[in-house]
Amino acid sequence: MEIPAALEIHDLSACYGDREILRRINMRIERGEIFGLFGQNGAGKTTLIRAICGRLKPRKGTIMISGQAIRHGVVRQIGLVPQEIALYQHLTILENLQVFGRLSGLSAAATKDAIIEVIKHTALADRLHERVEVLSGGWKRRVNIAAAILHRPALLILDEPMVGVDIEARITLQNVILNLRDSGVGILLITHDLQQAETLCTQVGFLHQGVIGPQGAPRALLDLAFDGQHEIIIVSEQPVSATDEAVLRGRGFSPVEGGQCWSVISNSPLQEITEHLEQSGIATKEIRFRKPGLDSLFLRLADQSDTGLRGSRP
Amino acid sequence: MILAMLRVMTLGLLRDRGALVLAFVLPPAIFVIFASIFSGTTSDKLDLKIAIANLSSTPASQRLEEALRKEPAFEVIGALRLNRAEVESLVKQGAADVGLVIRGEIDDTGAAPLEVLVEPSKLMVGSIVSGRVQELVARRLPDLLLSRTAITLKRVVRTFTPEQSARLAAAIEAAALVSEPQAATHAPGLVTTASVGSSESSGATVTYYAGAVAILFLLFASLQSAAILIEERNTGIIDRIAIGPGGSAVVVLGKLMFLTVQGIMQVGLIFIVAQLMYEVDVTRRLDLWMLITVAAALGASGLALAVVTACTTKQQAQTVSTFVVLICSAVGGSMVPRFMMPEFLQTIGRFTPNTWAIEAYYGVFWRQETLSDVIPEIVSLVAMAVVGTACALVVSRRRLRF
Repeated sequence: MEIPAALEIHDLSACYGDREILRRINMRIERGEIFGLFGQNGAGKTTLIRAICGRLKPRKGTIMISGQAIRHGVVRQIGLVPQEIALYQHLTILENLQVFGRLSGLSAAATKDAIIEVIKHTALADRLHERVEVLSGGWKRRVNIAAAILHRPALLILDEPMVGVDIEARITLQNVILNLRDSGVGILLITHDLQQAETLCTQVGFLHQGVIGPQGAPRALLDLAFDGQHEIIIVSEQPVSATDEAVLRGRGFSPVEGGQCWSVISNSPLQEITEHLEQSGIATKEIRFRKPGLDSLFLRLADQSDTGLRGSRP
Repeated sequence: MILAMLRVMTLGLLRDRGALVLAFVLPPAIFVIFASIFSGTTSDKLDLKIAIANLSSTPASQRLEEALRKEPAFEVIGALRLNRAEVESLVKQGAADVGLVIRGEIDDTGAAPLEVLVEPSKLMVGSIVSGRVQELVARRLPDLLLSRTAITLKRVVRTFTPEQSARLAAAIEAAALVSEPQAATHAPGLVTTASVGSSESSGATVTYYAGAVAILFLLFASLQSAAILIEERNTGIIDRIAIGPGGSAVVVLGKLMFLTVQGIMQVGLIFIVAQLMYEVDVTRRLDLWMLITVAAALGASGLALAVVTACTTKQQAQTVSTFVVLICSAVGGSMVPRFMMPEFLQTIGRFTPNTWAIEAYYGVFWRQETLSDVIPEIVSLVAMAVVGTACALVVSRRRLRF
């Protein structure tokens, strides 16, 4: 028997009053899959989460969780990890898990079992009896996830789960997320960290002005968008003059950070580009060369629909 | 640099409507309430409700009753012909602030012809009324006072023969030498004051303030504790809970239950102290106490949840809470008894939980009222709980959408 998708959205449109926020959204997240959703602030990500959680009635379209149309009972199959630390700070990790277990509809005995299971996935056993308020950012984020998976949801929504954590904690969190994926949970990961998404996600999608753009496996999307191309990033010795800027833009470069870092995606050989820059008198202190990532793809997509977006990278 | 900080603070105040209200609207509002109360007690207009029983049918007592009915300082209530028991009952029920019994001839010096009936918790009002009645008699009925004085004088000097004149002089001289003149001790005053109900005024006051303080702190604590709802909203806890089987209603109803239990315990402590230290007999009427306390705690919790869900920030909630508690407590009688307030404030006060709770507790523990007497207050408190909780449920559900 075929296992239904964790999330299936067909032709979804949603409005606030007369303002259409989401337009004809289609997406699918299988069990054991991590779907990375990207989009700038105001793109409609929060509205999409609200619609999935049943808090916003779609104007059109359907949302299915585990093969069932969205309604109050079905929503219980969702685990939501908000961007903020949605925990009671004055309670211990264990107390928080007990509270959220009961609030997710589990009996006292089932909550106890679920806690044992969840602390294995999230590696929380060492500090179960410490108050959340004394934990580091990384620990808080792990408890934040643990509290959302006690009822074994089919779909887990992670809204910026790694904001403000150090690299070590980030690696731990990534392992937690991968563990959950392996246990068969479908995960919707909303993040601005495209490099992290590239590592974690099996599928990605770009949301811009309420419309979802191309979707697919990160590598496949990148190969499709940047077939045989590479990204060259140069860092100039000093802020570029207006003349130099014209030269760079003429060669397809666009500014990345401030006025000294410029990048171009091209299939021209690196040597040809550097020679051209030298001939133009642009002194560079650093040249980087890499395969284009999701961030480059995001910028290209944003450029295609709105040239005004170029100034702010996700 | 100091000016830069001054600018920060000023802009902060100007952009926070709640803080502006707290800083500039609440102080004059509270001042107006207290000024209205205390100017009322010191000016000509007292706004005291008085019930009169005229047991004497002489022309003099009729004239006094007429003068009392015309006196602007008093609002005479009740039927035209009341007896002493009826007046006493009106005072006990709180329908009249004070009762006045005209029980004999004003020119009769055998006993005080006028008796002021007052609840022990309002003895101050008794003194005010006694003074005002004596002043009224002196101003409006001087002939009665003169005849009363003449009788007293005649009793001392009998006839004005030369020998008696000498005795009068001697008596005046002797009276001047003693601290308490004999004539004064023998002649009773025009007005005497009597308590109705129990004679212990301190008990009445303690009973009154047990209720007054209980509802004040119920409101404070409920509003303070309910503010966690805003924190839960801001941190996404409500988002997380809302997708659970109970939805956002669990958050509101769970808090209602907690605040109610917390309130019952708070009020319980206040009344335990009242019983142990001031002999307010709570245990004898524990059933009614519990009923009133549950209703008051529910009412305060419902109000708190409605206020807090309507606010967007914790700071806003604190400002609105302070405003609500201070105004309700000032107007509702938690700070100053309502009988001291002008009529319009007493009318406003009838719509506050403070008045309902105070009246219910005082009625049961002092006036020995029954359940049927305090049903209106209990119903009002429960209605406030229902309306407040319903508002909180609707608003918190609506807030989840945006």
